Amino acid sequence: MDARREREPTSVKNRTTVERKSERELVVTRTFNGPARIVFEAWTKPELLKRWWAPKSTGVSLLSCEADVRVGGRYRFVFGHDASKPMAFHGRYIEVTPYSRLVWTNDESDDGAVTTVTFEEKGEKTLLVMHELYPSKEALDGAIAGMEGGMGETFEQLDELLVALDANVGRS
Amino acid sequence: MSLTGMKKHVGVLEQAGLVSTEKVGRVRTCKLGLRRLEEEAAWIERYRQLWDARFDELDKVVDELKRKEKTDGRKKRA
Repeated sequence: MDARREREPTSVKNRTTVERKSERELVVTRTFNGPARIVFEAWTKPELLKRWWAPKSTGVSLLSCEADVRVGGRYRFVFGHDASKPMAFHGRYIEVTPYSRLVWTNDESDDGAVTTVTFEEKGEKTLLVMHELYPSKEALDGAIAGMEGGMGETFEQLDELLVALDANVGRS
Repeated sequence: MSLTGMKKHVGVLEQAGLVSTEKVGRVRTCKLGLRRLEEEAAWIERYRQLWDARFDELDKVVDELKRKEKTDGRKKRA
């Protein structure tokens, strides 16, 4: 246990991993220093969800957050830099098993994933595994190609490249 | 930048395999031609950072709920 913490001597921050498990699946994992009961609560009470779902560092704020966490219940998260261009994510909860499992759909389009979150208590910690299953390879590829913010960053890199090339052309 | 200058730049990028272009009528569309795997790895890292940032905030909520539970537990026993 101590060996694992060596990299972060001042805190016990747990590492988040993301892996594309297959053509249609993405898996996110993270351990939390608390019992499954508490971690589950933070995912299922809207007033708690809204405190962590849109961290300041992402530059996007959560304009509203509704989540009726029970089988068949709906959720709707509205994000935006400001209220003029809101972006809504919505869907239904299809499985709610207290403290261990949550499954919901993403209904913004036909390419939305079905997300399964499991909470596995290990001692005083909880291993959280979030599994996103897309309807097709194309749907996941599309999500990867079109994620918000992604292109902005890409174009910034292209700008830098153009400047670098310009400098090279000037020299030759 | 002039149109000629832009064309030259895009030509260099295209030769280097960094972009691919397609001309439809008078419009030439430019697409990034970065190798797919690199693009995907970069996206996955950004996605990881998003969830990492969310989970850092979630850590705070979990800590707070843990503390609250302890205090409430003490009150009940008292």
